[in-house]
Amino acid sequence: MISAGKKSTMELLREEVESLLRIDRLPHVWCPGCGIGITLNAFLRALIRAKIDPNKTVVVSGIGCTGRAAGYVNMDSFHTTHGRAIPFAVGIKFARPELNVVVFSGDGDLFAIGGNHFVNAARRNHDILVIAVNNFTYGMTGGQHGPTTPTGAYTTTTPYGNPDRPFNIPHLAISLGAPYVARWTTYHLMQLQNSIYTALHRKGFRVIEVISQCPTVYGRRNEMKSPLEMMEYFRKFSVRKDDATFDEMELTYNGRIVVGVFRDVQGIPTYEERYNDIIRRAQK
Amino acid sequence: MPQKNAPPKKRGTVKIMEERCKGCWYCVNYCPTKVLVVSPRLNSKGYHPPELKEEPPDKVCIACHLCELFCPDFALVVEELK
Repeated sequence: MISAGKKSTMELLREEVESLLRIDRLPHVWCPGCGIGITLNAFLRALIRAKIDPNKTVVVSGIGCTGRAAGYVNMDSFHTTHGRAIPFAVGIKFARPELNVVVFSGDGDLFAIGGNHFVNAARRNHDILVIAVNNFTYGMTGGQHGPTTPTGAYTTTTPYGNPDRPFNIPHLAISLGAPYVARWTTYHLMQLQNSIYTALHRKGFRVIEVISQCPTVYGRRNEMKSPLEMMEYFRKFSVRKDDATFDEMELTYNGRIVVGVFRDVQGIPTYEERYNDIIRRAQK
Repeated sequence: MPQKNAPPKKRGTVKIMEERCKGCWYCVNYCPTKVLVVSPRLNSKGYHPPELKEEPPDKVCIACHLCELFCPDFALVVEELK
């Protein structure tokens, strides 16, 4: 990897992370102990390690707490309308196929408001990397229940427990044929970083779900009052299982979190490749 | 075989940007040698930032960079001592 006379690899990595951040805008808006900062750190480190040119990378995000990530990276970034991060990313990829397009957005944005776009982009296998930060709730608007809130969880809009079933995001992505599907928590620092690193080298619709903590509006109402308690929950209750079944992948209220790389296949043609093929055949 | 209480070979120091800290204390809790402690000082936002408190020869920063990875606020920089 990177070698220099005096500084070690990790020190250089930290310096480059600093150069990829808009440091004039720090400290950021996220609450004390929010996992989005940890995820952003892992993403930036993976990007540097993968030696991908930041000038050829676009970070697209929607609205919400995680949507603010686009404002803190010192690269070309888009802060799009609510739920439409994936359509914007698809448009960027169509117009400039040489760019690496990364969608960095939250669970409410990608799976509630933008659920249709996620499903259809995964079905068509667009060449984008989706980092979905799942904090179980709508953090920015005050902790309403969302499509990823586990059954029985207490939120502002479900004071007696959530009756709905949560989305099983890895299973949804696998069923739509996404070539790379992984899930990590923010406690799995190196695994998350390595997973993003691997995904940056793959082609197709890659989905990495990051279970993140929201101590301010979710943990506070669900027996985890401090950021550390949420982190301890991830540490104690996460199990790595790469060949997990549908039932194991499902998230339950304060229950086991199965993490791992659930699908990693190569050679599935992306939408852009198939589209170019069609154009070639039509012009014959 | 190395001596049981031999001082760690790799040493480092932690540079703390106190104005960025929001007091989640992941660094304090997950530091493997427990050299970071909660400081009694306050920063301008009213949070207690961490503070490096080494007790040589055993309780020292071993430059593992774990606090850097855990910090959600990009407030810590680990510098290795040569």
